[in-house]
Amino acid sequence: MAAAPAVELRGITKHFPGVLANDHVDFEAAAGEVHALLGENGAGKSTLSHILSGLYRPDEGEILRDGSPVDFHSPRDAIDAGICMVHQHFRLVERFTVAENLILGDRRGAGRNFRIDPGAVEATVRDLGIRYRLPVDPRARVWQLSVGERQRVEILNALYQQARVLILDEPTAVLTPDEAEALFETLRDMVQEGRTVIFISHKLNEVKAVSDRVTVLRAGRVVATVPTAEASPQSLASLMIGRTLETIVRRRADTSGGDVVLEATDLWAESDRGSTAVKGVDLAVRAGEILAVAGVAGNGQRELAEAIAGVRARARGTVRVGTKRLRAGDPRDAYHAGLGFVPEDRLGMGVAPNLSLSMNIDLKAYRREAVGPFLRLAQMRERALAAIHRYDIKAPGPHAEADTLSGGNIQKLVLAREFGGRLKVLIAASPTRGLDVSAVDTVHRHLLEAAEAGVGVLLISEDLDEILALADRIVVMYEGRVSEVERRDDVDEIAVLMAGGTPST
Amino acid sequence: MNNSLLVVLIASGVAYGTPLLFGALGELLAERSGVLNLGVEGMMLVGAVMGFWTVQRVHAGSAVALIAAVAVAALAGAATALVHAFLVITLRASQIVSGLAVTIFAGAAGLSSYLGNDLNLADVPASHTFHAFFPARMQNWPIVGPIVFGQTPLVYASWICVVAVVYYLARTRPGLNLRAVGEAPGAADAMGINVVAYRYVHTLIGGALAGVAGATFTLAITPQWVSGITGGAGWIAIALVIFAFWRPELCLVGAYFFGALQALAPELQARNISLGPTELWTNSIPYAATVIVLVIVSSRGGRRRLGAPAALGVPYVREE
Amino acid sequence: MRFTVERRLNQPRWLVVAVPIGSVVVGLAVSAVVLLATGHDPLSSYRQLFDAAFLSTGSLNQTLIAATPLAFTGLATAAAFRMRIFNIGAEGQLYMGAITGAAAGLYLGGRGGPSAFVIAAMVFMGCIGGAAWAAIPGVFRAFFGASEILTSLMLNYVAAQILTYLIFESQSYWRQTKGFNATVFPTGKPLPSSAIWLGPTVHVQGGITLPLGAGFAVLAAVVLWVLYRRMRFGFEVQVLGDSLGAARYAGVRVRRKVLAVMLISGGIAGLGGVSQDGDFRHALDGDPNGLQKQAYGYTGIVVAALARYNPFAVVVIAFLIGGLANAGNTLQGADFPSGLVGVIEGIILFCALGGELLVRHRVRFVPRTRTPAVAAPEAAP
Repeated sequence: MAAAPAVELRGITKHFPGVLANDHVDFEAAAGEVHALLGENGAGKSTLSHILSGLYRPDEGEILRDGSPVDFHSPRDAIDAGICMVHQHFRLVERFTVAENLILGDRRGAGRNFRIDPGAVEATVRDLGIRYRLPVDPRARVWQLSVGERQRVEILNALYQQARVLILDEPTAVLTPDEAEALFETLRDMVQEGRTVIFISHKLNEVKAVSDRVTVLRAGRVVATVPTAEASPQSLASLMIGRTLETIVRRRADTSGGDVVLEATDLWAESDRGSTAVKGVDLAVRAGEILAVAGVAGNGQRELAEAIAGVRARARGTVRVGTKRLRAGDPRDAYHAGLGFVPEDRLGMGVAPNLSLSMNIDLKAYRREAVGPFLRLAQMRERALAAIHRYDIKAPGPHAEADTLSGGNIQKLVLAREFGGRLKVLIAASPTRGLDVSAVDTVHRHLLEAAEAGVGVLLISEDLDEILALADRIVVMYEGRVSEVERRDDVDEIAVLMAGGTPST
Repeated sequence: MNNSLLVVLIASGVAYGTPLLFGALGELLAERSGVLNLGVEGMMLVGAVMGFWTVQRVHAGSAVALIAAVAVAALAGAATALVHAFLVITLRASQIVSGLAVTIFAGAAGLSSYLGNDLNLADVPASHTFHAFFPARMQNWPIVGPIVFGQTPLVYASWICVVAVVYYLARTRPGLNLRAVGEAPGAADAMGINVVAYRYVHTLIGGALAGVAGATFTLAITPQWVSGITGGAGWIAIALVIFAFWRPELCLVGAYFFGALQALAPELQARNISLGPTELWTNSIPYAATVIVLVIVSSRGGRRRLGAPAALGVPYVREE
Repeated sequence: MRFTVERRLNQPRWLVVAVPIGSVVVGLAVSAVVLLATGHDPLSSYRQLFDAAFLSTGSLNQTLIAATPLAFTGLATAAAFRMRIFNIGAEGQLYMGAITGAAAGLYLGGRGGPSAFVIAAMVFMGCIGGAAWAAIPGVFRAFFGASEILTSLMLNYVAAQILTYLIFESQSYWRQTKGFNATVFPTGKPLPSSAIWLGPTVHVQGGITLPLGAGFAVLAAVVLWVLYRRMRFGFEVQVLGDSLGAARYAGVRVRRKVLAVMLISGGIAGLGGVSQDGDFRHALDGDPNGLQKQAYGYTGIVVAALARYNPFAVVVIAFLIGGLANAGNTLQGADFPSGLVGVIEGIILFCALGGELLVRHRVRFVPRTRTPAVAAPEAAP
């Protein structure tokens, strides 16, 4: 007789303004298994997990826990039912200590008391840390911890709350390959105790490595649920995407003879926290070349891109576009020299979210286009209209506010703007993050077109597949330093460099 | 010795500082939940007028009348705070504009005057007032006499409040939850804490304490009602919370310090001591000092360790 | 049944005007209820207010007197808010402008009719005084990241102390020291006749004087609108007001902008201050029960909020609120409830704040459905 599944979702439907995130989804996970939820960005995985963990309420459908229907009004109810989520963007109070964060969610055992006793909690945290290989100092304040450590705190929190079902949302996005491996071991330990782990990811290799079964979501619907052992990466990929994607194979043009359009020498820059993020980086990009910087997020890529583009101050070093030396910390100087920058944080930096498309198109060009101090608003509108047509941006008109656009269309807007200048070099930082497949395709096409036209492209990305498909040369960034990859097609060499090791020749 | 300038200043400082302390404690709790309440002055005035009205109307012994008056003042303050809370928490209006609207609505040119004049409360002495609690014999003891034992029960109540708030924040679950709500409402929500409820409750408590602060004026300090009797104490209370780095025990110190400053100029005058433009300095120092504290807590090192609750002033929206 | 609040995907134009007007209407209705509840006849009170504000003889004069400073402080607040900077210090900046402007008038003025040169100098110095006072919170915000809300608020009180000190507690340049009255009650030195701002007279209601300051306020509104909507400066202000990240990305010099906006805001408030000297009081008013009781700065914030920070709307609303304030003053007495003005203003503002939600969001009622796990089979077409 089969026991009821640990959790089951039936007919879950959820609407957001303008989009149907989950469409009658059926899902179940058993005790003692790692069940992966696989899908592209925007397929509805996060929404589903938020419903399961009580943050969202479904418009239709049921949730069952151990066979009995439950109704979650808040995350509290889900936690009480033993379902706990480890979020992609951590939900921790930075100013509190680790122990205080754990006390915060605790309703069972010692947590029922009105008075709090940090000492007891600290002891428990230490024990859990040893048992599950997640060592963390319970007295440390969260703002002092590294990203990997913060994730450990989140997992410890779930364990402390005696969660039987853990949901992890893209946990390896911020981990090195080694840390990811350690995480998988921890997950296997937990599952052996009869817990259930629901593992959300869009990375095929991880899903293959750690899960027992996998459910594939596409456009809000469940496409398939299969035992992992029976599925091949190709079959999973085509289920995820819905068609076989033609991999763009870049024509490897020989660009070694081209002019150097971007040169960074001995570049040093600090992070927002005050630590050194970029340590003496040397880079050169030639005209028509795509140079890719690979690496796990958090190794200084963001600071590197911002320092070169002038958005961030440089502690030391020089940046040249062509023959012109750029002034540090001056984005206008970089722009006028012919440097375009597609930033990693689309909504926070790439556009002014509540301003119109017209204003966003001219975000950098407004000075050049103005007559003295006066703007030419009619021409601004025209430029926006032209961009909307040329780049096929889906928007009601140039007056639309930028953040009403979908992620893909926002990126098209950014590209339209950056390509509008007299471009010599383009820095693209994680340009396809969070985009659906067709948008990714479009962005790649534009990058290739730019390279064909002689623009030097510096592509910074965590997506190794993307890099392998597009790049002429690859360097790997690890802890602020950059190493050249000798054999461009050797994935192992790249992986080793990404983890900070030295490749064997 | 009990008539020396220092002792008198400290004793007066405690007396004048008590409404500041009540107001600051209330504002501190509201701000710790993430709600900035600029309407404290208005709430104090409403508490002042309603407390006075109660004491004139209740025909009972002194103690009963006074306790009823304080209770009514607290309720009036809380009711006013309810408007602010509804606007900024449920309707997500700007906390700053809403707070100022409350001050205008309830302030010296608004509801409190409306009520005071309509109910004919002006120019009449209070039927009952708070007197010093301890016997005169104890009040004459050196130094501690006037400072500690010469105060009204409201002062002692304020001490109890300070202790309660300190304990609440540092050692209890709800206090921890409150701090989380003010620092990272998203995290608190994910942990199952009802952010909206915490904000409402603590904003209302803030209003209640502001009401009590107002009552302190009409029932203890100047036992009479005049339009605008608080004279800006609400604003000083807001400043005080910052000056005290959002810590209740420092609110006590700060309140008495500011209170003593208020007493300084008249005392010097009474003793015919002239130190130049004293009033200019003593009245400006609380505000100038707060500006300096603000700059310190905003600096990069300060913000993490010392500063305001991180989510102060930002409406919380759970993306549904 | 529960209701959800969703962000609107586009904002219909009519809503932007309809909601504020609707809030005023609702606000008046609620105030009427309050009046009824306390035994006053709302219709009669409103009629009296309107009459005293705009219709009766001399009322327009008084209304303009009340409205002019509100236009300045409203514009000052709006100018800063366009960049999401909350300048609560218009009150103190107004005082400082009054001080510096009066100094210019006293020093440069002489006999004879109003002199364009003297008035221009007063305008200049008034703006400088307000701007300098606003520079303090501006610098703290730009260079230290300290919230301008509280710093500017605190400085209001310091400015008030300084103002009182100059007239009441010292024998300063601004203080009147001659004459018998001077020993009885401290007053400011009267401005010389060439420093008095005499505006044109219009033959309405038996002749009203348009204060020169009112004209300056309208001019300031126009300049502000052009600056923010049609010039590069305004473009940068809008970007910075929307997103710090995008502004830095675009190369906007953030610190300079913050400081510049505070200076503009303070300058306008300071102009309001010197207008008080030149148009109305003809001396520096340091009386704690005089200029300082009027709360022009704080009311200006209300005006700006109701006008949704649009410069032209600010002028219009300043006129209306000025009328209300004037009426409240005129009618004060046993028959007419005092404090009513504050109550009505407050209620209207509450309704406007509540209505603001409707402009950006849509409120829907969603029936809570619990569909069964097995859907009923659909009939084949």
